[in-house]
Amino acid sequence: MTGHGSSDGLHVADVSVVYAGLPALDSVSLGIAPGEAVAFVGPSGAGKTTLLRVLNATVRPTSGCVTYRGEHLGELSANDLRAVRGRIGFVHQSLGLVPNLRVIQNVMAGRLGRQGLLQSLRAFVRPKPAEIEHAYEILERVGIPEKLYERTDRLSGGQQQRVAIARALYQDPEMLLADEPVSSVDPARARDTVKLLTEISSEQGLTLCMSLHNLDLARDYFPRLVGLRNGKIAFDAPVGEVDPDEFQRLYDLEQGEMLADGA
Amino acid sequence: MVRDAGALRRPPPIGPRGLVFAGIAAAGVWSFVLLDVPAERLLPGSGLLPELRDLRVLGDFLSRAVSPALDYESSFVPDSAPPLLMKVLDGAHRTVAYAAMAMTLSLLLAFPLGFVASSAWWRGDPARVTTATRFVPPLLFGGVRALIAFMRSIHELLWAIVFLAAMGYSTFAAILAIVIPYAGTLAKVFSEILDEAPRDTALALQATGASRTQVFVFGLLPRALPDMAAYAFYRFECAIRSAAILGFFGLETLGKFISSSFDEGYYGEVWTYIYALFALVLVMEWWSGALRRKVTA
Amino acid sequence: MNDRVRCIADLHMQRPRSRALWWSMGALGLLGIYSWTWGLATGDLSFGDTFSARRLQNLERFLGEIRPYPLHGVEWDTGIALDWARTLMSEHGYEAMVTTLAISVVAICMAGLVGAMLALPAARTLARADAYLPTAKPATRGVRFAWAALVTVTRGLMVFLRAIPEYVWAFLLVTMLGVTAWPAVLALAIHNAGIMGRLQSEVIENVPPTTPATLRGLGATRSQVALFALMPETLNRFLLFFFSRWETCVREATILGLLGMASLGAVISESRAGQRLDEMMFFVLVGSLLVVVGDALSILARRLVREAG
Repeated sequence: MTGHGSSDGLHVADVSVVYAGLPALDSVSLGIAPGEAVAFVGPSGAGKTTLLRVLNATVRPTSGCVTYRGEHLGELSANDLRAVRGRIGFVHQSLGLVPNLRVIQNVMAGRLGRQGLLQSLRAFVRPKPAEIEHAYEILERVGIPEKLYERTDRLSGGQQQRVAIARALYQDPEMLLADEPVSSVDPARARDTVKLLTEISSEQGLTLCMSLHNLDLARDYFPRLVGLRNGKIAFDAPVGEVDPDEFQRLYDLEQGEMLADGA
Repeated sequence: MVRDAGALRRPPPIGPRGLVFAGIAAAGVWSFVLLDVPAERLLPGSGLLPELRDLRVLGDFLSRAVSPALDYESSFVPDSAPPLLMKVLDGAHRTVAYAAMAMTLSLLLAFPLGFVASSAWWRGDPARVTTATRFVPPLLFGGVRALIAFMRSIHELLWAIVFLAAMGYSTFAAILAIVIPYAGTLAKVFSEILDEAPRDTALALQATGASRTQVFVFGLLPRALPDMAAYAFYRFECAIRSAAILGFFGLETLGKFISSSFDEGYYGEVWTYIYALFALVLVMEWWSGALRRKVTA
Repeated sequence: MNDRVRCIADLHMQRPRSRALWWSMGALGLLGIYSWTWGLATGDLSFGDTFSARRLQNLERFLGEIRPYPLHGVEWDTGIALDWARTLMSEHGYEAMVTTLAISVVAICMAGLVGAMLALPAARTLARADAYLPTAKPATRGVRFAWAALVTVTRGLMVFLRAIPEYVWAFLLVTMLGVTAWPAVLALAIHNAGIMGRLQSEVIENVPPTTPATLRGLGATRSQVALFALMPETLNRFLLFFFSRWETCVREATILGLLGMASLGAVISESRAGQRLDEMMFFVLVGSLLVVVGDALSILARRLVREAG
């Protein structure tokens, strides 16, 4: 990792997002240093997904600003915005794979942000041997190299998730964002997935931000936890300093409010 | 019979489906009365063209269904005329060829029109909203949709008649008459297929930094393409029928042969041409059916 | 390193492929190229002729003549144009529109009834010796053959009915039956009965077999199973097809009038024969309006059916 200046990393300053009159994020501020691994924890609807989307500039903050390596994301031109997104890998909760394409084609879609239309069409129809080999290496790393030419919808849910991770890695990203990567798989597989993502990130020196439901997984694999509730940051601390009660309170309060709402 | 009124709660007398049925029945009866055609007019010998409408003609015509002509029925056939079966083949060939020409043009038009008419094409980047992205797309989108609706709403035969009146007969005009409504219909269905494709892929690709065109080409199109291909195949089958019908308006296809043989009273030849058309449609239907099963499997 | 390349090559060799789609698309593409080459080479498609000076002159005359008659050589006046349109509508327009609708409704009702009937002997799940339940003793070869023959004959009939376009049926029938609405109604009914029968038979074949099998177990006959299990379960799909086919019936009913029968097409061809091109264009546009109205009604009805579940 190279020198950490003040313009390094990702900075979120006083960001609010309002969807159709409802606040999804409420003046959130935080900084993420290059190479750091952060877990966003909290109940569903707390704003974890929105925060991740703000980080890779697919959601525009209603107010506040996001800087990535010193650049204001809100002020970028369309092309610069694409370039920034191209440097950030995103593993979606719903994966977002094209089911009737081959695995390799889905993986190679990761490079779209760095290619022009013609270039990407060429890579799609007739990939170069080096590109195929690179895709194969990444699939090896996520553990499913033999599925290279398989149709994606023939794969199991866990395998498809690995394809989505491989696509994010094929982007050759500086930073990896993952939205609830464990919500659709069984507990044993969930642990594998989180382990895989954290290992790859530390091997390659990637910044990793992951939203998680499961506190145990967050504590086992992440040095820093950010608790979210109702669009606000409830706590932001090294894992050792987060009190289990504090975490529990994220959910308790929510339940209390729900009761109040229901009454 | 006496019943405890509270014991059995009656369902409402008519639900929405009942309403639909009642509507159909009412419309059916009303239409039947309105057409004001006494059923006995269907009997031969009572109509407007009694000389043609006697039972013998109908019997003659139907009886030739089992013995279609294998040679010309007319005794005045010029020596230069090809054998009837060659003429049938020629008619079938032309029918398919004109249909294929119309289909190629229709598809060339339908792809861009269908893309522009799909709301998926216009879903911009939520992180970048400008005046242009706010006002230009709805205008173009609405305009193209209206254009498509207009193209579709006039039947190919009516387009043919309009062209005929405007410029006189030409083969190209006849093909164009098929192309306009077909391009409209294909574009409409293409846009619907594209809009039905799930959105998650588009979002994921947008997050990799893909441009809007790339999101469309790599995220939506591959998903929609099999369905689009199956539908295009089905429309090709329809185009064969349309090309045949345009024969009644001068296009050199099986329809033209059917109409001239029928007018001469050569019913055997009529059946031969009808069976040729049947065979063409049968092959296409089998092919497109097989393809659809493959695609949906 | 070489290992990996070999691995990739192996995987590439073994990749699953769907040839049917690619072959079909390729064949269709070749057909398109061939047809244009043939058309241009045999001179059937001379663009020079299509856009010759004479034809362009025709076009110019046409564009002049489709201006409403009272406005020929006069400044455009919307009031006069509306009066002209109103007169045309009350002379022929309304009547022709209503007749067109009536033809399409009667035709689709007949097609629906016949199609629903034809669908039963065409459904392979119902029209067989051991429908939904194995019989006590295996059916003889003759019995099985008879059922298979029934299915094949019914299907063949339906294919034939729908393969011949409505216009051809109407052309043949109008000579036999005279110029009334009936040839149009029957032509539409025949063609659509074939289509409705095919669609409905596929729906019946896709009905999950549990309910019919239970009824069969209670000793129900095939017709009872059809009446009490298959019909209710397939009703919604049937209605959806019914309305979408009605939509096309409206289109076709319009143009069948070109053969002389009382729909909008007849009015159009009369105006053309009388060289009243302004009237002709007006009625063509009325026809397109009718189609739009028909589409909207059909979409509404289908939504109603879907909501009824």
